[in-house]
Amino acid sequence: MIDALAAEWWKLRSVRSTFAVFGTVAVFVILCVVWSLYAAHYWDGLSQARRATFESAPPEQPLAIALPVCAVLLGALPMTSEYASGMIRTSLAAIPRRPVLFCAKAAVPGAAMLVAALVGLTAGVVAGEAAANGRPMRGFDASFLDHVPYLLAMAVTTAAITLMTAGLAVVLRSTAGTITTGMAVLFVVPPVANLLPGPWGERVWAVLPESLAGQMASPPGASPTRDDLSPAVSALLLAAYVLVALGVGVRVFGRRDA
Amino acid sequence: MIEVRELTKRYGGTVAVDALSFRVRPGTVTGFLGPNGAGKSTTMRVLLGLDAPSSGAALVNGGPYAALRRPMHEVGALLDAGAVHGGRRAFDHLGWLARSNGIGTRRVAEVLEQVGLAGVARKRVGGFSLGMRQRLGIAAALLGDPGVLMFDEPVNGLDPDGVRWVRRLMRALAAEGRTVLVSSHLMSEMELTADRLVVIGRGRLIADTSVRELADRFARGVLVRSPRPEDLAAVLVAAGGTVEPARSGTAEDAPSGTGEGAPSGTGEGAPNGTGEGAANGTGEGAPSGALSVTGLDAAEIGERAAAHGIPLYEVTPRSASLEEAYMELTAGSAEFGAVAS
Repeated sequence: MIDALAAEWWKLRSVRSTFAVFGTVAVFVILCVVWSLYAAHYWDGLSQARRATFESAPPEQPLAIALPVCAVLLGALPMTSEYASGMIRTSLAAIPRRPVLFCAKAAVPGAAMLVAALVGLTAGVVAGEAAANGRPMRGFDASFLDHVPYLLAMAVTTAAITLMTAGLAVVLRSTAGTITTGMAVLFVVPPVANLLPGPWGERVWAVLPESLAGQMASPPGASPTRDDLSPAVSALLLAAYVLVALGVGVRVFGRRDA
Repeated sequence: MIEVRELTKRYGGTVAVDALSFRVRPGTVTGFLGPNGAGKSTTMRVLLGLDAPSSGAALVNGGPYAALRRPMHEVGALLDAGAVHGGRRAFDHLGWLARSNGIGTRRVAEVLEQVGLAGVARKRVGGFSLGMRQRLGIAAALLGDPGVLMFDEPVNGLDPDGVRWVRRLMRALAAEGRTVLVSSHLMSEMELTADRLVVIGRGRLIADTSVRELADRFARGVLVRSPRPEDLAAVLVAAGGTVEPARSGTAEDAPSGTGEGAPSGTGEGAPNGTGEGAANGTGEGAPSGALSVTGLDAAEIGERAAAHGIPLYEVTPRSASLEEAYMELTAGSAEFGAVAS
């Protein structure tokens, strides 16, 4: 397994698409800084009365939007690019034990995404604190420790999306198909779910992967309006999604001719 | 050692490999020949555990490939030179492969040097020509210094220098005692590289033989030219040979006669090379005063002629080219396949 992990890590760090994904994370960290500076500037121009009712998205918000997209890309590409080029056969000839190869191909991008998310989100929050510079702005005035649960929930969800996408990628084998499906789940299904009548809109929304981070731990300063699931149930549901996706991936990868 | 036993592989209703059995032994280059679509690549994929056999077995060193822990130390394979990530540098492509099997990076540099790609090790593979990709694929196969090597069409896209290099490499690898299986659809290539041939068509085994045996099987006798063909014919028939008048030019492939054809000719025009062809009643080609002899080899013919004081102008053993032999073999398989289906 160590060999397979090391080989997949070598593969991941030797293609440009990986740097494009992590470059995107870096750009959105910069956007977090810009957003924080803007919020602080905006806050300065407010009257005392308006400041009392001031509400703002947290400093890490821009990155929180970009991370799921990056997670889908990084989960899909190591798998689907090899199917596109035929290199999956070279990989299987080098590592014929298929569950090992599949797990390495999911785990390495998953771990890389987890680290990128943690580092990026931490940088975003720290930059937000620096920009707020002691201003009692709601959303920015929490201490770093208050942010930690949400940062962890976001980072874990991001890594989970990468793992789920890896499972989807081995089933679909197509870059376009996998990324389109991933984006649909992230960005098309939530608004469609909200159109459902009665409580169903919220119920469906609550179980979507991207909604789980906020239900595991809400960002400081956010008003919890849609906490349909408890943090424990949200975490278990996320784990179940990952296990199902990886289980299907291992099974399909293990049985299908390469 | 590679062993394929009663291997059958179906894709839906299509039978790609049909009860195929053969062995590839160490110390030889074995050519794996067949027309496009004959099942060569499928067989190799099954051997590498990439495709599961429908029935039968494909074994490497006595076991299934998929059971090998670090397979590149035992088996090196080049299946598809194009199956590389164009954005990765050559060194990195070999680097991850090496790492996956616990091979050090020094070995990566060695094989890059060996295949002549050391100068472009840091270049992205996307910019490589097909020939360079073939070399990279061969380098990957050599990484683990394996005892068994499989190459699927390794000379595709190589320039003449490259083709010669691959030939020498295959022969050198076999000379070191390794098992080398090289697929090709070009008999002419295998003729120059292989010791043994496994010929398949429509997924079935057509021939499992040595290059020499195949050449002998398609032998076309000895062409003999003499100023006294009728005397020579009589001597050779008496010695047990079968003699016919030979047409000049292309290979003689008429069914072997009983031997009386040429002797019954009048042979009057031997010096100017006319006459006996017409006498034989075939009426085709320019008679040349030459005889086609089967049943005696060149040495025996020479000795008989010398013993009787008959001068010889030419003694040339002839055979169908292996290319022709291959075409005949595989054409038969295609017909058989058509009838069978």
